[in-house]
Amino acid sequence: MIVGLGMTALGKVYDRTPADFAADAVRRAVADAGLQLADVDGLLTSSGVTGGISVDLQRDLGVADLRLLSHLQSYGATAATMVQVAALAVASGAASVVACVFADSPLRPGTSAGAAYGTRAGSPVGWWGLLGASGVVGTNPLYALAARRHMARFGTTTEQFGHIAVAQRGWAALNPDAQQRQPITLADHQSSRWIAEPLRLLDCCLVSNGGIAVIVTTAERAGGLPQPPVHVLGWAQSHPGHYLRRHPDFGLVTGAAMAGPAALGMAGVALTDVDVVQLYDCYTFTVLVTLEDYGFCGKGEGGPFVASGVLGPDGKLRLNTGGGQLSGYYLWGMTPVAEAIIQARGQGGERQADRHDIVLVSGNGGVLDHHATLVLGSAAGAS
Amino acid sequence: MTVGPVARDAATARFFDGTAAGQFLLRRCPAGHFSEPPAVACTTCASAELGWAPAAGGATLVSWTVVWGRSSSDAGPERTVLVIGELDEGPWWWSQLAGADPASLAVGQRLRIEFRRGTDDHEAVPVFALA
Ligand SMILES: [Zn+2]
Repeated sequence: MIVGLGMTALGKVYDRTPADFAADAVRRAVADAGLQLADVDGLLTSSGVTGGISVDLQRDLGVADLRLLSHLQSYGATAATMVQVAALAVASGAASVVACVFADSPLRPGTSAGAAYGTRAGSPVGWWGLLGASGVVGTNPLYALAARRHMARFGTTTEQFGHIAVAQRGWAALNPDAQQRQPITLADHQSSRWIAEPLRLLDCCLVSNGGIAVIVTTAERAGGLPQPPVHVLGWAQSHPGHYLRRHPDFGLVTGAAMAGPAALGMAGVALTDVDVVQLYDCYTFTVLVTLEDYGFCGKGEGGPFVASGVLGPDGKLRLNTGGGQLSGYYLWGMTPVAEAIIQARGQGGERQADRHDIVLVSGNGGVLDHHATLVLGSAAGAS
Repeated sequence: MTVGPVARDAATARFFDGTAAGQFLLRRCPAGHFSEPPAVACTTCASAELGWAPAAGGATLVSWTVVWGRSSSDAGPERTVLVIGELDEGPWWWSQLAGADPASLAVGQRLRIEFRRGTDDHEAVPVFALA
């Protein structure tokens, strides 16, 4: 179960390396768990667009004789995958206290969010160079092509994407850690500039610096620790394997369609048992298609569903309650994982969901190429 | 519409020989299945014995996006139309669409492959145009 959560300062925090954020996050998570660094015998690391994190983090932390140490990468699916691997490790006895960490530091003073993510280092060579020479640079156009396909097939609209952006900003207003807290309207969304049609600026996630770590341990070890334990009840992954290749489901059905039901099945709960949902939201569209694939609405009905008033603090679906990556902060898969832990513990303050026994979490990497689902539970949810 | 510079490496040398000659080369396995040019195993039967075979050049529109640059002149931001084209042989390809009004695009429209160069000393890059 998850007994520790450590979050560094997030957002426009400059002049710190990813490795520095990562070490800081692990120390905070260990302290939050009421443990000592010397208790950690497993370490899983992951890095973002700026890299800079590796198994060398062990040396930075000064922890000796680890029994589990590895660097993982399935992009936005990594955070949920690390929790899964850590849960397997403690269940098998391979390790007893596993720290999982992600950190990134793409923002520099004076550079735009787009510049932080849109460029490609080195001279253009080979297949990767050909893609760039063709004009396909960064993930924005690739997700735009996915979203357009959904629109063309199902009649989904930019206004429907806007409902997701507005709702999440409403949640962010209640989250002191969120980067963007001023309310927005559907009109604001519709007048925000195009990035890659049909995606507007307010359809795209933020860019953030920072680090987040979680501590996973056994039920026995969790007894007597200070934080309400968060049980890892179910997990699953799905990796369709068609990146930049013919894929009839591209933009229409994602790995969530397999991973979601599998994780819920492992947890022994139904979708109707889920109290809080934290979905990976690199773009508004990603939320919409994941809601469909998890079964919150029928395939192709995501647009009308998100526009029906179910979202936001006044809606009945407790979705991306910290503002997500669109309005909260962008630390890849750790954004939904961290908010899920906060909600399951009941520590969400103004944004806390009344019922928080079962929390469904998604991670998504590549261009809908890697999906990882977690089902987390409070003590009541696990019983 | 402009394409950028790109240089060949060992993996792309044969493909760029093709684009220089006005051909879009696909990979083809002994069973006759076509795969996209970067494939190293057949996407249908997983055979690793792939040869090269030219595409006929026809395609249909799978999806499209208009990428907006930052405003840098009085003419407003530069806009680039990018598409996924499904080649008539089956594989998909991602590139620019030349000379089309994005407001008129629809899934299933007929496309054809053309070739452009960033500069004379760079490789020819496949792009799509409306057929
Ligand atoms: Zn074959």
